[in-house]
Formats: sequence, structure tokens, C-alpha cells
Amino acid sequence: MRISRRNALLSGASALATLATRPAWAFGDGTRMDVAEIMLPSGTVSRPNAWTRLLLEVVQTTSVECTPRAVQVAPDDPELFSHPFAVLVGTGPLPSLSERAREQLVRYLSYGGFLFVDDASGEPKSAFDASFRLLAQGLFPTRPLAVLSADHSVYRSFFLLREPVGRVALHRVLEGVQLGSMHPLVYSQDDVSGALDRRADGMDLSACVPEGELQRREAVKLAINLVLYALTSNYKHDQAHVRRLMEEGRLE
Amino acid sequence: MIDWLTGGGLFSSGHLVITGAPWAMVVAVVLSVLALWLAARPGPIAGRWAELTLTAVGCLALVALAARPVWLAEGERTEPGRVVVLVDASRSMGITEPDGSTRFAAALALAHRIDGAEVYHFGGDLRPGEPALPDLDATDIAGALQGITRRYAGEKLASVVLITDGIDRGGLVTTAEDGTRTIDRTALPAQLSGPLTVYQVGRERAVGDVSVVDVHAGSFAFLRAPFSIEVEVAATGVKLDAVPVTLTRNGQPAGSRRITLDEQGHGRAVFEITPDTPGRFVYEASVPVPEGDMVPSNNSLSRAVRVVRDRVRVLQVCGSPSMDQKFMRLFLKEDPGIDLVSFFILRTQADMGSGYSPDELSLIEFPYRRLFDDDLSTFDLVILQNFDYAPYFEHDAPTLLGNLAEYVRNGGAIAFLGGDRSFDLGKYADTALADVLPVTLGVPGDAVDLAPFSPTLTEAGARHPVTRLVGDPAENQALWARLPALDGTNLSLGPAKDAAVLLEHPSLKAGAGPLPVLAVRQVGLGRTMSLSVDSSWRWSFAEAGKGGGNQAYLRFWKSAMRWLVGDPDDQAVVLDLPRENVEPDEPLRASVQVRDAGFQPVAGATVRGAVDSAEGSVGVDVQTDASGVATFEVPTAKRGAHRVKITATTADGRSLGAAETVYAVVTRDPELDRVTPDGEALRALASSVGGRFVGPDGYTEPLVDPEAGRVVRDRRESPLWAAPGLGIVFGGTVSIAWWLRRRGGRR
Repeated sequence: MRISRRNALLSGASALATLATRPAWAFGDGTRMDVAEIMLPSGTVSRPNAWTRLLLEVVQTTSVECTPRAVQVAPDDPELFSHPFAVLVGTGPLPSLSERAREQLVRYLSYGGFLFVDDASGEPKSAFDASFRLLAQGLFPTRPLAVLSADHSVYRSFFLLREPVGRVALHRVLEGVQLGSMHPLVYSQDDVSGALDRRADGMDLSACVPEGELQRREAVKLAINLVLYALTSNYKHDQAHVRRLMEEGRLE
Repeated sequence: MIDWLTGGGLFSSGHLVITGAPWAMVVAVVLSVLALWLAARPGPIAGRWAELTLTAVGCLALVALAARPVWLAEGERTEPGRVVVLVDASRSMGITEPDGSTRFAAALALAHRIDGAEVYHFGGDLRPGEPALPDLDATDIAGALQGITRRYAGEKLASVVLITDGIDRGGLVTTAEDGTRTIDRTALPAQLSGPLTVYQVGRERAVGDVSVVDVHAGSFAFLRAPFSIEVEVAATGVKLDAVPVTLTRNGQPAGSRRITLDEQGHGRAVFEITPDTPGRFVYEASVPVPEGDMVPSNNSLSRAVRVVRDRVRVLQVCGSPSMDQKFMRLFLKEDPGIDLVSFFILRTQADMGSGYSPDELSLIEFPYRRLFDDDLSTFDLVILQNFDYAPYFEHDAPTLLGNLAEYVRNGGAIAFLGGDRSFDLGKYADTALADVLPVTLGVPGDAVDLAPFSPTLTEAGARHPVTRLVGDPAENQALWARLPALDGTNLSLGPAKDAAVLLEHPSLKAGAGPLPVLAVRQVGLGRTMSLSVDSSWRWSFAEAGKGGGNQAYLRFWKSAMRWLVGDPDDQAVVLDLPRENVEPDEPLRASVQVRDAGFQPVAGATVRGAVDSAEGSVGVDVQTDASGVATFEVPTAKRGAHRVKITATTADGRSLGAAETVYAVVTRDPELDRVTPDGEALRALASSVGGRFVGPDGYTEPLVDPEAGRVVRDRRESPLWAAPGLGIVFGGTVSIAWWLRRRGGRR
């Protein structure tokens, strides 16, 4: 029998003890949410602590069942299809992908996978950014990266966000590639994972600039929204939600 | 004596006309010359003058006979103008007036008062002679006047008499938008043949009648979308301020209204209908038959309405966002035939200590009461995806779960999907919803098994449309066998009674049999399906990762949805009619498509049943052709609703299914729609042509044109050749000449 994640997370919350005692099985690790870090021979970085923190935040904040872990996979590894939520974080120029890796990434994104790409360089114009844009164009030649509109579902999938920021707040936008009604590839240049990353002792790895902890809080909220968007796509654009949020004055 | 000999007329003014054939006259001349030559020889002519003269006269008579002379005498005279009477013989003339006599009898009595008239009768066309019965099915007054004008073209009639109740169904009267009625002069002859006198029979408002004039319903409506049925009611000759109008659907009450009639006795009732099942339905509007209602047959009227799905309306409720929920939503959202309403529980009470204020969230309250009470019937399918009701329903749980069970029994559908909040983990055992699920709940202890497994296709699953992903059974079996393994399963006590297990666990048991993984069940008019896993998404994503695409996942869920919502075109036996409403005696053929459990057409299937109506039952017994289709004619002679019910069986008697539909024969008699005489129109008609209108309360002689008359040409032929004179001359002279010749010793 597996340990109830709610029992583990909320063991100190006496007020919610009754609800917290319900076991949560989520049949097998594979069914629960985790993160696959796509690693390339160069240019990418692994931040398992950032993703573990994100998944714990998701578990604590939402009803999504997660396994707080990050696994590293190569883009041409079939294991990628066991993890529908993937990230690619980089600081330097990315190498060219093999044809097999390219095909698998396209298939992954076309059949329901989600990829969050994070430029961790913290620079306005990085080598990573340039190389990733080439990579994205190679993957979807007819579907260019485009800035997501302010009313995009990713900004309201759980939290209502006004602008996306990470460890830095240089660009304050998200870009994405649209397939059907969803953007399965979302790109940030503001090092969102940098705001989440922790040292082994649990302390934040980097300071967020320019607004410090307030900015980190917004970055965490953005990351949670990304997970919820990956699961619920444009759910928050359903008429019932929009109408109710507008009635309550939370949406303009 | 002279007239007798000459045939008469020989001495009147005239002239002679030769009508004989030339060859006959030539023959007569030749014969005459030969006779004279023979008479002149032998011997001297002296002393034989009498004989020769008589012979010559006889020959002349012969030539005259061959010429066939006729004496032709011609002349002209003028006779008085004719009187023509037109009697309305339509069915409205058969209505009995309060005095006990019919309008038709009154019309004939009027016609008989006019001496020497030439009588015609009319309905939709003009016919000569006096009518025997008022049985014609139309009334075209202008057409009848046109007919008379054509028939007597060029002649001035002394009088044209029209006897009718004035209820015209031709083009005599036009009604403007403001209700003003005028005579359409263009429908009438440019010039009538004589002065018109119009006699009205029947008194306005003297006949009592309440009728359903029309039912406006359109021919089709959308499922779960309101539409209006408007019923027009008219009352004449009876004092009614209000009338109750009743509407039935396939004979069952569908509503009633009490409507107020206006001064003209008109009123309308509007029924708002929200159909909750697809198919064909006959709506019949009716009003009571009050005392004095002379035409009870027009107090009800039927219309058939076909209810179709606009889009399948699906409610997806998920207790926790997950991969299974994500792939299900992607599938549902990409189908243009699905109207999806999703509600995902993004945060529970357990998640509320995370330090975020509600204003930061985009969450809305879960409207569970509205969804599972007021709005529930608006959905064709409810997907409960790893949803635990207890934290939300609280004390409303018995009511709301009871609503779900009732929703199924009334024709709704539920897909009940597994997960850590579902089945026994969601505490559904012993609830009203559990009573309609395809599996029995109540597993003690841990009601879950976390070991990955690949489900096995059962014998029923191999045939069932939900799990028949490809047509070939072997290929279908192989397809299921190679799909990715699932992550674990909820447990159950086994299939419910009447449920069919389509996929089962390869090793786990539930009671005596394998653990059901996918099971389906028909409950009342609705259907349920349980899938005890939360990882069917792997049939899409993992299969795509292997290069196989997601067709198996899409086909499975597409088939499951079609089966769950009971798509009429997705049944084994589909009965169809090209139209819902038909006119009397209009040909109408029904078609039946028969398929087996694998949806393959069944050739040679026997289709038996009946077409039932108030008039009786007509049997159906046909066989399907090679494409699994059979057709048959349905009766359309009698008015009202007809229900067609058929069953299909294989050659060895195995049942393949049943189907039924309805249609309406609209046999409303237009002649009895309105029964009040239209004196206003008749008065206007008479006025428009300078004629005379005579109401039902008196009698005035018809207008007569004293100058009307007709020139009659006389022509008398007296065939002289046929009169006795020429024959006597010919016979007498020849006989005497022959006698004189013999007496003179000549031969």
C-alpha cells in the first residue's frame, strides 16, 4: 500500500484532518504527475530540485496527484512517452537534434505531451534563445513561436496572473507553438526554474531580481499554472468559467 | 301529296344540291344511252314514239337518282336568352342548419324555383347537370364563373345564378396584412356572360363549430432545446369565451392550456416543449366537442415532429486533473459533434492551507447542485471521471445521486471511470447511483490493485460495438492484445445483473469470474458504462510513442459515446421514414437497416411487425436484401397518428433487435375547416360585377337581361332522291315502256 500523499503533506493540519485521511492511490507512479527533464549533450541544465519543489507546491496547492520527482530523458528516448509533462532548461547553445529525436519530439507534442522550455541564462539575448528558436522552427516550420495573449489559459489555469516572471523579469511574456486548440510548447526567457531551484538544504538557490521574494512567489504561481495548463488545456476558457469570473470581477 | 312525293320543302326558298358520286352519274348516263339504243332497234321508230319517250323519261329518272339531289332550305331566327344556374356541391354544403335541412337541400330548392334554367354544379371545377350529393372536395367560385363564361362564349345569357354558402377555397377573396378582405377581380372573367345573382344558403353563425384550425410545429426539433407548438383554434356559432386546448405526445399528455377567444372566435395556444429523447413523435392538439358542435371531426389535429440531436451534450466531471482527464478532454473538445461542459476539481479542502488568497485564484465554485439537479436532464452523457461526490454533495448526496440514477432510467447515460476517488474508494457502494452501475460495489478493505495489467477482451466484448474497434474479429482481438498495459484497477464484486463485461482482468477475480474492467449495462431507457482504470490515456499517448498513433483510443471512446447516448443510427435495427407528416394516400415507404452485434449488415433477416393506428393494425412481414435493408409501404389512407413497430430476427429465429417510429397522416378536410357561410364575400362578389346578392332570409327573382337572346340558324335538307317521286317515275315509265314494247311484238 502506498503512503497517502495528503497524509504526508497535511499531517500537521488538524483542521483538515478529516479530509486528509482519505487515501489517494493514483494507480501507479506512471499515472501521477512528474517531470521529465530533456537533456541534450550540451546547452541544457538539470534542476531536479526545482521540479521537485514545483510538484510539491502543486500537491499542496491543487488537487493534482504528483510524484515529486524529475527524471532525465534524452529526446529520442521512448521513455519520454511515460511522462506527458517535460521541461527543457538551458543556458547555452543547443546542439542539433538527430532526425529520430526531432521526429519523437514532434510526435510527443502532437499526441498530447507538453514541453516547457526555460532560458536559464538570465540574459536579454542568449545563445540558448537563438539556438532554441532554430530548434523550434525546425520542429514546426509552419507554426512559429508566438507570444501568448494576455487572456491565454496559461495565465488563468489556476492562478490569475497578470504577467509571467521567473528569477528575472526581463521579457515578462511567454511564447508558444499552437497545435489545435492548445499550445503544447511554451517558452520563457525569464528563468522560471531558477526561481524554483533550491539547494540541498532547502534554501533558495538564487535571488529573484528585481522584486525579490514577491517575484519568486509569482514565478511559483506561473509554474503551477503551467502544470495545470498542461493538464486542463483551455478549460479555463470554457464559457461557464469566464462568465463566472467576470461576474465576480476577477476578470475584465 | 306533292310534299310526300318530293320529300317536302321543294317549293320553299332554297336551292338544289347534287350530292351523288360522279362515277355513279357516269354509269347512269351510260346505262341510259345503252337503254335508248336498245329501245330504238330493231325496226322503224314510227309508231313507237310513246315507248321511246317513256324509256327516255325513265333514263332521266335513273340519272337523277344517281345524282342524289337534295333541296337545301336555310334561314335565321332569334330566341330568348338562357338562364344558367350554378349550384355549389362542395362538402360544406352538406352541413345541416339549425332548422334541420342541409344547405344543399336549400340550394336545390332555389334552383328548382327558376324555370327553364340550365343547371350546373361545381366544387373545384364546373360540371353539367344537377348534383346528386354535396360531396366535392373543394370550392372554386371564380373558377366556376370562368367555366360558364368559356362555355357560353359569344352568347348573352339572360341570367347567371350562383347558389352557394360562399366558403371559397379558390382565389376569389384576398386578405391584406391588415385583415381587409377584397374580391380578386383578376380571378373573375373580364366580362360575365349575363347579370349575376348570388343566393346565399346557410346563415352565418347559425352552425356551431369549434375546431383546431392548425398546429404549427415545424417538422423537426433539437433534442433538449425548447421549441414551440402553436395551436390555432376557431369557434363559430357557439358562445364560448374560453376553450381548453390539450396537447398529447404519442398519446400521452404533454400539456394543456385554457385560451381566451377574441371577438371573431379565434384564439391560439402556445406550448413550450423541450424534447428529452430523440426520435419521432406525434403531437395531437384537441379541443372538447361542445353541445351543438356540428363538425366534431375537426376538433383535433396531429402533427409529427422529428427530434434530432444537434450535438451530443456531455458533462465531464473530474475529481482531480490527471493525464486521463487531459486526454479525455482533448478527445471531447476536438469532436465538433460534442458540446462539452467540463468541471474539474482543481482544489479541495485539503489544499486550502497553501497560503494563497482566493482572489489570486481563477477558481469558481463547483455548481454541483445545478449540474446534478436542474441541468442534469440537458445532458446526453455524464462522465464521472475519478470523481468523489462526498466532499461536495454532503447532505444532498442521497438526492443528487438519486437524480443521477433516475436520469439514467429516463434515458440518460453515465460513464463511470476509475481512479483513487472512484468506485469503492469514492464510497459509492450502497448509493442510488450504485444501483444503476454495471458492476457491484462494496469491496471490503483496499478496493484497488496497483499492479499493471493488460485487460482481456471477452466473448461479449469481441462482438460489442464499444470494443469492436475494427471489423475483423481476429484483427480486433490482436489490436486489444497489443495495446499498452494499464496502471492498476479499482476492484468490484463483479458485474451487475444484466450487465455485459467487455474487458476483464487477466488474473484478478471478482466472485466466481474474472474482475470486470470494462462493463456496460442497459438500465431502463438509459445506459451506463464502467471502466475501472484511470489510465486509458496510455492507449493514446504510449501507443503514439510506439509509432502506432492514437486511433485505438479515439475509436474506443467514440464507439463508447455513440453506444452510451443510444445514437438512433447506431442501433442494430434502424427504422426510418422519409417524412413525418403525409397527405392522405400519399405514398410512403419505410426502410429498415438490420445489422448484427458487430454492425455488419444482415441479409435475409425477417422483419415483422405492425403499423397501428386508431383505425386498426396492418401487418409487416418483409426480408432484408444483401445490404441488410428491407423496405415496405405504410398505410396513409386514414387520418391521425400511426405507430410502426418492428422486430428483426435471423433465419434461425434469433432476435436482432427492434425499432419503432411514428408518422401522422394529415387528413384534415379543408371543406370543414370553416363552416360559417361567407355572406360578406358573396355580397362583395355581387357588388363587384354589378349583380344582386340575395341573403338566406328572403327570395328575390334573379336579375334578367331582357335584351339577351340568341340567333338560331335554321337549315333544312330535303333529299329528293330518297323521296318516292323519282322512284315512282323511274319504275312507272320503264314498266310501261316495257309493256308497250312487248305488246308490239318486240322482245
